[in-house]
Amino acid sequence: MQEGDYLALLTGAWTTLAIALPAIAMGAPLGLALALIRWRKIPVLGTIAAILVSLFRATPSVTLVLLVYYAVPQIGIQLAELPAAIITLTLGTMAYTCEIWRGALMAFPRDQYDAAMAMGMTRGLRFRLIVLPQIARASLPALVNEMTLLIKVTPAAAVIGLVEITRAAVRVGAETYQPLPPFLVALVIYAVIIGTLVGLQRYLEHRQTRALAI
Amino acid sequence: MQQPSEPLLRIEGLEKSFGGNKILNGIDLAVAPHETVCMLGPSGSGKSTVLRCINWLETPDAGAIFLRDQRVGCHEDGKKPMSDRELSEIRARMGMVFQSFALWPHLSVLQNVMVAPIHVQGRPKTFVREEALAMLDKVGLSDKRDAFPSSLSGGQKQRVGIARALVMKPEVMLFDEPTSALDPELVGEVLQVMRQLAREGMTMVVVTHEMAFARDVASHVAFLDQGRVAEHSTPDAFFTAPKTERARSFLKRYTRGS
Ligand SMILES: Nc1ncnc2c1ncn2[C@@H]1O[C@H](COP(=O)(O)OP(=O)(O)OP(=O)(O)O)[C@@H](O)[C@H]1O
Ligand SMILES: [Mg+2]
Repeated sequence: MQEGDYLALLTGAWTTLAIALPAIAMGAPLGLALALIRWRKIPVLGTIAAILVSLFRATPSVTLVLLVYYAVPQIGIQLAELPAAIITLTLGTMAYTCEIWRGALMAFPRDQYDAAMAMGMTRGLRFRLIVLPQIARASLPALVNEMTLLIKVTPAAAVIGLVEITRAAVRVGAETYQPLPPFLVALVIYAVIIGTLVGLQRYLEHRQTRALAI
Repeated sequence: MQQPSEPLLRIEGLEKSFGGNKILNGIDLAVAPHETVCMLGPSGSGKSTVLRCINWLETPDAGAIFLRDQRVGCHEDGKKPMSDRELSEIRARMGMVFQSFALWPHLSVLQNVMVAPIHVQGRPKTFVREEALAMLDKVGLSDKRDAFPSSLSGGQKQRVGIARALVMKPEVMLFDEPTSALDPELVGEVLQVMRQLAREGMTMVVVTHEMAFARDVASHVAFLDQGRVAEHSTPDAFFTAPKTERARSFLKRYTRGS
């Protein structure tokens, strides 16, 4: 492998992150929003949220990315490969994290919520000051686990032509007639990305919760 | 000036059912300023439900709650329900202490006490901090201000719960069996704080099974049975000459050995 080959793999890593990070950043809050809609049992919206979650959870990523890539232009919106991949994985992350958030919400102690109400906190304050900090901490391991799974489905984006890590490794292997070395490098890159995520989780878990501005 | 006889808190014809079971069947109760009313009754008689209806944690099916002539939960006509913001405003005027303490475990003791006055009442932080520290001092927990709830004993947790409610300067305090979850040796420290509050003239509604406390501290006693106030009298009259058979057997059960 030559310098250019390493560069190709690193560019692939960049693409992987460019898909995964926005998908996490948008998917997790959207999942929380869906979870809240279901938790509050808002009539029609709650049912729609439940159906969406089941749908996205049931669809393989490869299928979903193709669907988004070919279906969205049908309604008149031009969509490049990268946004299509980001949207797809955002939807998937939304669906999976929704279930994580919902679990944490349902396990939230009723008396703590009552206390927040009794102290005169409005719905927004109850959520922001009392519920969110606790469910975020409780959900963190499951959320990070979901993120590592997300990184591992990014190769699905190759079907619409994006060259992420795995696709880059295939290409380098084909050009150099040595498939093994690029895949070993790819392995290392995946390990570094996922190791960073898990390290971040450890850091957040051990930090005292002083996040609240009081 | 308010007439001394005018109630600070008034409950009128309160009714509440859960899943077809009528739990409250027309509760009437008035609490004058500086009074301590002890609500007694067998388990399941609806004492907690009455307290939770007072600050609208539970929505009654019928009846009305008034805090200083302001209707709680709905507007004057009794039809239009209060918005979340309006409810929050009126709830903030009533303190509540829970059997299970219900402290917020992600916040330190001091933060537990400070969070509502800052965010609900919008009082300045430095000011609230001083009041919160004074409140913790009052319940004897100054040295625990940076501790987290999980490291406290039950009695300490409950005293934080009381400080957290008091710092809001509530017009009335609602206690739901504040000592029932405590080991016997920790009950005294919590009751002592409550006695102190009563002496200082706090208006209180206390659900309790501590008969000695009710006898000594209560201005009057309301005995709940089968969804109604079965007896309403001075502690003296209630404990020495209960009028109903239900109250007599209740007292026999709860004063045994004390
Ligand atoms: N949210 C609820 N849903 C259904 N039933 C309820 C609910 N809250 C209370 N109940 C029922 O209402 C009845 C009265 O409950 P409540 O907690 O008010 O009694 P209590 O007098 O406080 O009893 P205890 O001394 O055991 O605390 C009980 O039978 C209880 O099971
Ligand atoms: Mg009760």
